[in-house]
Amino acid sequence: MANRNILSLENVTKRFGGLVAVNNVSFNVNEGEILGLIGPNGAGKTTLFNVITGVYKPEHGKVIFKDMDITGKPAHLITRLGIVKTHQIVRPFNEMTVLENAMIGALFGKRAGRISITEARKLAYEMVEFVGLVDKVDELASRLTIREKKLLELARALSAEPELLLLDEALAGLNPKEVSEALELIKRIKEEKELTIIIVEHVMHAVMNIAERIIVLDHGKKIAEGTPTEVANDPNVITAYLGDPKLALRFVKERRISQ
Amino acid sequence: MDTTVLMINILNGLIWGSILGASAIGLTLLWGVMKVVNIAEGETLLLGSYIIIWAYMSYGITPYIGMWMALIVGAIVGLVVYWALLHKLVGKVEIITLKTEMSTLLVMFALSTFLYNAYYYWIGSEPRGIGLWHVGGEVSYVTVGGITLRVNSIFAAILAILTAVATHLFLTRTMAGKSIRAVMQDAQAASLAGIDPVKVKMLTAILGIGITAFTGFLVLLHEAAITPEMSHKYAPVAFTIVVLGGLGSVMGSLIGGFIIGLVYGVSKVMVAEYYTPLAADPIALSTAFIIMVLVLLFRPQGLFGRR
Amino acid sequence: MRSYIASVSYYLKSPTLLFMFLVIVSIVIARIAGLTTLDTLILLMAFLGMAASLNIIMGFAGYVSFGHAVFLGIGGYTYVLLVYFFSPLNSLQHAAGGIGAFMVAIIAGLICAIVAASVGAAVLRLRGAFFAIATLGLNFAVLYIVKGIVPTLNPEQFFAAQVILPARALVHKSLIFNAMVITLTVILLTNYIIKKSRFGMGLIAIKEDEDAAEVLGVPTFKYKTLAFAVSAFFTGIIGALISLNGGGVDEAIFRVGHTIDMIVMIVIGGLGTALGPLVGGLIYYWLYDLLLVHYPGINLMILGVLVALIVLFAPEGVIGILRKYSIGKVKLKDVLE
Repeated sequence: MANRNILSLENVTKRFGGLVAVNNVSFNVNEGEILGLIGPNGAGKTTLFNVITGVYKPEHGKVIFKDMDITGKPAHLITRLGIVKTHQIVRPFNEMTVLENAMIGALFGKRAGRISITEARKLAYEMVEFVGLVDKVDELASRLTIREKKLLELARALSAEPELLLLDEALAGLNPKEVSEALELIKRIKEEKELTIIIVEHVMHAVMNIAERIIVLDHGKKIAEGTPTEVANDPNVITAYLGDPKLALRFVKERRISQ
Repeated sequence: MDTTVLMINILNGLIWGSILGASAIGLTLLWGVMKVVNIAEGETLLLGSYIIIWAYMSYGITPYIGMWMALIVGAIVGLVVYWALLHKLVGKVEIITLKTEMSTLLVMFALSTFLYNAYYYWIGSEPRGIGLWHVGGEVSYVTVGGITLRVNSIFAAILAILTAVATHLFLTRTMAGKSIRAVMQDAQAASLAGIDPVKVKMLTAILGIGITAFTGFLVLLHEAAITPEMSHKYAPVAFTIVVLGGLGSVMGSLIGGFIIGLVYGVSKVMVAEYYTPLAADPIALSTAFIIMVLVLLFRPQGLFGRR
Repeated sequence: MRSYIASVSYYLKSPTLLFMFLVIVSIVIARIAGLTTLDTLILLMAFLGMAASLNIIMGFAGYVSFGHAVFLGIGGYTYVLLVYFFSPLNSLQHAAGGIGAFMVAIIAGLICAIVAASVGAAVLRLRGAFFAIATLGLNFAVLYIVKGIVPTLNPEQFFAAQVILPARALVHKSLIFNAMVITLTVILLTNYIIKKSRFGMGLIAIKEDEDAAEVLGVPTFKYKTLAFAVSAFFTGIIGALISLNGGGVDEAIFRVGHTIDMIVMIVIGGLGTALGPLVGGLIYYWLYDLLLVHYPGINLMILGVLVALIVLFAPEGVIGILRKYSIGKVKLKDVLE
């Protein structure tokens, strides 16, 4: 049963001087799914995220969100429309508390201008609770551990009430136990918040585990698209990863675990 | 328009510009390596001038030697400034954040306040100079094609160019200089390559303030007499030159200086001619700042800068 | 806006507002009791007002406006030239016990806001030191343009861009005092409202991490520009009133030293708080006076050393440090804005 497309990328190309970071990439994202976006380092995944969220304007192509052309719109507007991204390297507002950080998300997210400070505080608190950071709610963001900062990043993003959540390497630097906890959390997010998630990851078994569909990028081009099993057995994908031997090894090892 | 008047103004502008360009070398190095804006540029400039004046007027030491004394004292001040004020803020930091920038801005401004008032307290506001001392022995002028220029000023311009060239060679031909440029380009990569960023930053402070003090000699030559107020005349224009020339580029400072000086000279004549002589000097001065703002908007890396 | 501001009773319970109220009341009492000269009080209020107005762009949004004195100058010159040349405005400034002067000063402030918004559209695209230097450039550019043009308006009277108000345009200091009280009250209240509002939180997010803020939905450009314009507006009003108080204006109003005073006050008090500029201003003013009396000549040198020490060892400022502590069960952080 085909869900509607919540996001469509049509022939998106992004150049930086002579370097083509994203090369004619097209794909659709179904509403409510968890889509994995993988590829060797430098494949253009973060750049693609930045194009979707409006940080970069593509030289070519269109980004369509819920049947609306959002290509090149300012980032803060796109957030309000419902697309929120977390950062690869966490960027908390250091001199603010956990709650205040999340409140920024609430105040400027979906209900920006229509939500009162009291309501925003309540929403932020709920999100902080949801991700399991409630015992640090009044702590200064600068004092948190990396894992807690990642949770904060998530709480902040969720406070903006997104319909499409982009997770950029949210699992990097976590130990295996933390990774499974994070995956559980992501699953809970998808189910309870009813949103669509695109997840960029290098932790291969995690992506294979949680994504319903996967898109593979290499050197800016889309080289494969399909279910985890299809992608794991795609010779193009394996070749691409061979260019990065460590990842290739992990990839091959981990696909065996998930199968 | 009288071409002689135009030429005089252009030449004087170029001379003044070259001196300012040389004075901006220290500024551009400090900014390029540590993102430290030397708000005390004018005061450190005058430090050199005052040392030379003191050496000459009190002990009869010729300014040819005095200028090296200025360089050395400036270098020592740079060393002290680094360890007392800057190390804590930027010494071990690889990527300099907005907050750090703000702090260094404030700390250098504290230095500026301190020095400026120190000059007023110990030296006073009357103009000081090196009397009738002149390059070549006696007060002399050179007249070419109806244009008369002071030999001191011409000498200052030549020395300015030499200073820039010497610094540029230092940066490109010596190990120390190359390590400075490495940290300027990419502090992280440089430290991975084994360069100690603290040593480089310290060296930059020593060099930067030392050279700035040295160029105080040039100001002395051109202006004949100086007052503490002049730091407020020279420093802001030096900033415009650094922006125009590009952060971290020594030759950029020199060339930027020439350009700013040229535009100053030409606009002075044009305003006097087409508006009123009353407004000529101030409006000509404003062009430097207008240029700076335009550069910041449309080509923030300046002519030769990297970022 | 309604949903962001709580009821009046909430305000009365706020120690920050109480403190602000007390300061203003003390100044008024000092005036009535004749404890010190009108000039001292007017100047004190000007200092506090300058600090509080710069706070909006620098303390909250983190944009160091190094050339902020330019707005003192534009405000001052606009005001003085307006009452010099236009008699209706001259009459207005004498009216309504100081409110008239305040209103003419608002015109000066609005000019500053317009300049800030238009130049800001360009200059606010810069970050950190670049922005600071660009505003410095603006400061000097306007200074020199004023120095060039003003004398031409009246070559005999306006020599070296100095404009002295004729007797008919001089306003009694008691009226200026009143205008200042109104001004300071408005500025302090604005600081407080901003701190507690969504706008203020957005500005602080911009200060912490502008790019992250933008991606989280904060309209960074709009907010920065608004903060810059409001800040310029208030600084312009102060510039207008102190020029009136001084009986005229000259190029000295553009001095970088004024910006430095403002910055030091904010740093001493603590960036990003509504009380910071107030406390910092009081301390600075008191310290300045103290040093001037006891150590004339080297007073500014000592001040320079003090600023360096604060930036190096206590960068959060007085309020910033106080906020880390608690009295009994009350966390000062929640109480000192």
